[in-house]
Amino acid sequence: MTTTTRPVKVKRTFEQTAWLWMRYSAFLLIPLAWGHMILQDVVVGVHNINADYAIQRIANLGWKIYDIFLLGFAFAHGMNGVRQVLRDYIRNPQTFQVVSIILLVVWFVITMMGAIALLAINQPLGG
Amino acid sequence: MSSMKTTLEGYASYRGREGHWSFLLHRITGLGVVLFLAIHIVDTSFVYFAPKLYDEVLNVYRSTLFGLGEIALVFCLFFHGVNGLRIAYLDLFAPQNWTIEKTRRSTYIALIVTLVLWLPSAGIMLYKLLYHNYGLFGG
Ligand code: HEM
Ligand code: HEM
Ligand code: HEM
Repeated sequence: MTTTTRPVKVKRTFEQTAWLWMRYSAFLLIPLAWGHMILQDVVVGVHNINADYAIQRIANLGWKIYDIFLLGFAFAHGMNGVRQVLRDYIRNPQTFQVVSIILLVVWFVITMMGAIALLAINQPLGG
Repeated sequence: MSSMKTTLEGYASYRGREGHWSFLLHRITGLGVVLFLAIHIVDTSFVYFAPKLYDEVLNVYRSTLFGLGEIALVFCLFFHGVNGLRIAYLDLFAPQNWTIEKTRRSTYIALIVTLVLWLPSAGIMLYKLLYHNYGLFGG
């Protein structure tokens, strides 16, 4: 039996793109977020972390780039996740749009605070 | 608000078994981690904006309460990650495996992998917590 199929080009909506990106970023977050967490929580531990330690790491170019990726991907993934959760509970599309914009602003402000700290620190203390 | 109540009552009474609690756990762990992360990015940025404050915040992180919270956080990120990979893999590469039987099995596998990753980490963190906060093991 033969079937004929006619390919139809459907434009991807924003929600479909966001859905796909939640999955793509997932693969990147495993090494990034797990690596960071295992290092800081388990290997080093909060009792050995202080401002000197953090500044020294951020001043290191390799860890700076690592942290920039972590900041960009983990927080965007998480905040879009919050948006997807809220979409399940908010029935009114207008309310949802307002909530989305508030989340976007919160995401932007916090990401900028993190990015400024990462980019501004380039020298270890006293170095 | 009444729709919220209906939803929460549905979550408590719905009997979706493995798929249902895997969904709930993925949601709760994801929300938990993002809440932590929002605070964490702000407190890390203090290292630039207010270095003195940074060390004070870390003192809070060193308390026993936060130490236990951290052990829970590590569980959340391990479970969310393992289960998230399961979801992403099935959705993108093997959607034909989204059957009730197979998802049930893969849910258990995800939970076991999570525990294998989490238990040693939790042990190490608990050891450090007891060492620093209670002077055990010669601390
Ligand atoms: C460790 C690697 C991670 C993987 C593999 C992963 C995977 C995923 C996937 C595949 C989804 C979509 C689930 C769905 O649509 O059914 C998702 C949702 C979500 N993720 Fe992650 N994620 C990771 C890390 C994170 C981090 C670091 C955060 C927080 C900052 C986070 C917060 C969320 C939230 C809030 C959702 C929405 C939950 C829901 O819709 O019920 N995830 N994650
Ligand atoms: C409680 C456990 C954790 C500790 C003790 C910790 C510690 C630290 C430290 C010391 C820094 C400074 C920079 C560096 O050393 O690289 C940092 C930065 C960062 N961490 Fe964590 N971390 C923890 C968990 C996490 C988790 C679970 C995530 C993500 C899911 C995360 C995401 C980030 C990000 C994005 C930055 C950069 C912040 C910025 O832009 O200023 N951390 N963390
Ligand atoms: C009136 C609403 C609903 C109906 C009629 C319904 C019906 C069903 C049926 C017939 C199954 C397969 C039976 C089984 O797993 O034993 C199923 C499975 C499932 N449902 Fe629902 N459901 C409803 C609401 C929900 C809600 C609100 C959720 C999310 C919280 C949900 C999540 C799931 C999941 C994850 C499975 C897979 C269960 C598994 O793999 O064992 N369902 N549902």
